[in-house]
Amino acid sequence: MISRRTVLRGTGVALGLPWLEAMASTAAPKPPVRMAMLYMPNGVNPHAWTPEGKGKDFQLSQTLSPLADLKNQIVVLKNLWNEGSKGGDGHYVKEAAILTCATIKKTPGADIANGVSVDQVAAQRVGQQTPLPSLELGVTPVAIGVDAVVGYTRIYGSHIAWSSPTTPLARELNPKAVYERLYRASTGVGADTAQMDKLLLDRVQDDARRLRTKLGAADKHRMDEYLSVMRSLEQRVERNVGGARKDWKARVALDAKAAPPERPADHAEHVKLMLDMIAVAFQSDTTRVATFMFGNAVSNVSFRWLEGVSAGHHDVSHHGKDPDKLRQYQLINQWHVAQYAYLLKKLKGMSEGESNVLDNSMVLFASALHDGDRHAPHNLPLVLGGGGGGRLIGGQHLEYAEDTQLANLYVSMLDAFGAPVERFADSTGPLPGLMRT
Amino acid sequence: MRFWFALLILAGSMGAQEFERQQAFLKTYCAGCHGGKAATGGFHLDKVKEPSTLASNTHSWIRSKIRVENGEMPPKGVPAPSLDAREAFAKWVDTELKREACSGGITVGPRPLRRLNRDEYTATVQDLLDIHLEIGARLPADGAGGEGFDNAAETLFLSPLHSEKYLETAKLAMEFAAKEYKSRTRILVAKPEPGVTPDQAARKILAKFLPRAYRRPVAEMEYAPYLELFQAARKRGEEFEPAIFFMLRAALVSPHFLFRMETGDFALASRLSYFLWGSLPDELLFDLARDKKLNRPEVLRVLVGRMLRNDRSQNFAQRFIEQWLHTRDLGGDRMPDAKLFPTYAKDEDLRGDIRLQPVYFFREMLMRGVSILNLLDSKYTIGTSHLEKHMGIKLPLDPGRRTQPQWVELPEGSKRGGVLGMPAVLAVSSYPYRTSPVLRGAFILDAILGTPPPPPPPNVPPLEDGKTAAAPKSVRERLTLHRADPTCASCHSRIDPMGFALENYDAIGRWRDKDGGKLIDNTAEMIDGRKFAGPQELRTVLLEKKDLFLRNLASKLLGYALGRGLTLKDSCTVDAIVAEVKENDDSASKLIEAIVLSAPFRGESEVAK
Repeated sequence: MISRRTVLRGTGVALGLPWLEAMASTAAPKPPVRMAMLYMPNGVNPHAWTPEGKGKDFQLSQTLSPLADLKNQIVVLKNLWNEGSKGGDGHYVKEAAILTCATIKKTPGADIANGVSVDQVAAQRVGQQTPLPSLELGVTPVAIGVDAVVGYTRIYGSHIAWSSPTTPLARELNPKAVYERLYRASTGVGADTAQMDKLLLDRVQDDARRLRTKLGAADKHRMDEYLSVMRSLEQRVERNVGGARKDWKARVALDAKAAPPERPADHAEHVKLMLDMIAVAFQSDTTRVATFMFGNAVSNVSFRWLEGVSAGHHDVSHHGKDPDKLRQYQLINQWHVAQYAYLLKKLKGMSEGESNVLDNSMVLFASALHDGDRHAPHNLPLVLGGGGGGRLIGGQHLEYAEDTQLANLYVSMLDAFGAPVERFADSTGPLPGLMRT
Repeated sequence: MRFWFALLILAGSMGAQEFERQQAFLKTYCAGCHGGKAATGGFHLDKVKEPSTLASNTHSWIRSKIRVENGEMPPKGVPAPSLDAREAFAKWVDTELKREACSGGITVGPRPLRRLNRDEYTATVQDLLDIHLEIGARLPADGAGGEGFDNAAETLFLSPLHSEKYLETAKLAMEFAAKEYKSRTRILVAKPEPGVTPDQAARKILAKFLPRAYRRPVAEMEYAPYLELFQAARKRGEEFEPAIFFMLRAALVSPHFLFRMETGDFALASRLSYFLWGSLPDELLFDLARDKKLNRPEVLRVLVGRMLRNDRSQNFAQRFIEQWLHTRDLGGDRMPDAKLFPTYAKDEDLRGDIRLQPVYFFREMLMRGVSILNLLDSKYTIGTSHLEKHMGIKLPLDPGRRTQPQWVELPEGSKRGGVLGMPAVLAVSSYPYRTSPVLRGAFILDAILGTPPPPPPPNVPPLEDGKTAAAPKSVRERLTLHRADPTCASCHSRIDPMGFALENYDAIGRWRDKDGGKLIDNTAEMIDGRKFAGPQELRTVLLEKKDLFLRNLASKLLGYALGRGLTLKDSCTVDAIVAEVKENDDSASKLIEAIVLSAPFRGESEVAK
């Protein structure tokens, strides 16, 4: 059992290495624990979200009804929030910080700042153990421009994964490209190719290092960014020299012919294919960390293709108590929950020895607002699904004190994931009642 | 000497007196809500308390000036200053900010290191290798910052995904080039033959390739590491050609290629070509830079005209217009609903024509050197047979090429002049399924005039149930109710009217007289009580705000050209550009010329005159 605990102070801190060796020496036969976060923009219809009853004895609400078959594998969390997001504007401050629990800096772009997101804290700890440290996925391209009305660059609304306070991680939107990437990463490349790639990467890093000495502070930072991504790629290539890693083996091999289409027919299929990619990545153990955005902050993607809906997502979220808009808002929320249920079921169907991939995963469904009409960041809509490698106590509706730190949830999750931290952002400790100790 | 000193002191004390006078204005009319312990709306008068805040807190000054000048603040129901007092305040802020901006002359400003964005990367690889491969589609899309463009240095981050993709696309591009006759001829300028060793041939190839890739002359010592790569590949048993393409592949991943870091005249050559062509400089620009002839006004003037006439300037027109007017979103969040607008959804040609209409219009304006105000109202437009049908007007199209986009004169009374008559702009400022006077009004204030409305308060109270009992149905009725609330009215009485005037255009920009069986009401009343109706009168209103429009457009273009956000100091440059354009009959090509000749673009500061 690894008990090394480390202090994280909101920013990306490189963590000690002895822990890695400890991991290698124990070589646990237990399947690894995975962590995924699915983010839904624009909040929820507040009248149809919260389950009736508390603890083990609860009824799923209408919006959560797609999870009926999975009731024992999920925990609905009530009253968590990110205090850092209470000010600012109605969306960007909330949504960009959903996984960082920080307060983003208001800027049209020159001095962007957030915290490090929980998925990246996990990836920075265990990412070297798998071919890819993490996967960042989405379905809509990054929103262009500056929201001049509120004064934030839309970069904030298009990224939930941040590897440092100044580095949002680009997402992959094309399911076929994701699959090919997973395939290449898990099968590795031939020794020759790897050697040549390494030569090339050495070469360009030399350039960057020489350049760096001639640059001013701000530009140095950019060159550091370049060096960091090139170095991490080189390390991955190195681990793969010869086409097979000594310390890693695909738990289930990927089939080269199983690549999904490049251009999904519609929004619904696109979402489904991206969730499939998470499932495949987890099943094969190509990565253990994934984030997925159903849409960007303030997304007004039209949901008219959904039975009973006649408007765009953001538009109906501003329901103004109009019963018809509330009804449509609920339908859109419920569709998102149904996609979440789809992923959980898919993972559950992937057996893994005595258990299945869902048993060894934690999949969070989250929105950064409660009632979107009021931009209210209290009592965030959150569901945690999966077994967390036997740690998560499923089948509960856990009601916490009002305005309990969302960061506490992340402390609990990181612990179950095998990357324990003393603190995450403004956390005060793990969430009681959520995990078996 | 003593005389000047005395004058400075005098000016200083007069400035201080005036500052105090304006502080009194703020205390009288604003302190009730924006002073004390609980300042509302996130604005506290402390932010503008000291003269030094003009420099340190410029944004707050500009916001408060705009809100006072527009009559948005103070809100209805509290004592308000006279119109004269408002104007005096606004004018004073303007003068002071200008003084602050222009003290020390026109400066170059920041020059952040910048990587090529996805579009630039694609075009550069294509031009460098002479291949037609949409290679950039594999890279993650870039966000945007600064003045709202995806070439803003500040927001061009690098993710681990980028390094993987760069490695992969470099390989793909070289594999592609190795098979293309044109590319091979361009790249393989030498081969091993009697008297030429493989190393010598590689060296020759590199000497031709690397300076273009780096967009500057390359020092001798920079060749060596590449030749080592070539030799390493040869040692592993690679043939000559594959070893060459491997060596060149490294150049496409090098920071010297991926980042713009040229200096001196070569930096200017790149700035020019990435501004107007979105790609690397051609040989002429390169030669002029090498001969140190580029940075001369007379040379630059000729070059701008030549570059705009080149087909590659289409790239600039498209990237600038689609981001400035947000029409790129027509392919995303703002895509018109397929069920409601089947003709639009099914007809790919129509969609293409709609999207490219403002792009071609802008480019034609630049080439023809007409007034930039044609963007607000014009006797001309870009027509095709599809657009003619969609807009419901007859256009004098060339019978031989009716489907090709062309610059045509609009018929009398067409109501289609300027970008606000173009379906792309009307659609992107609507919801995908219906029009919205609020969205369109806000679009005009933000994109066209550069005076975006402030954000709605964080907790907008929903309309009271009691009030909705009367159930007003139309959008106009609901918005009227909205404006009855003083909090909402302070902004919506400025936003909504301009949108109402455009109600005759539906959500995909077709003309309509009726909506849901009812006649369209396109009347509007501005905040000062002035009434107008319909799109044509709106155009007149906008033309009266010509100065705001020119300033906004010049800022956007300068931000795009420099690839960074503008600072207070840059507003001095913007003023000079606007003045230059106004002296030249608002000429569109003059505007581009003035940007290229500006101090920050040329990279030379000008001392205060």
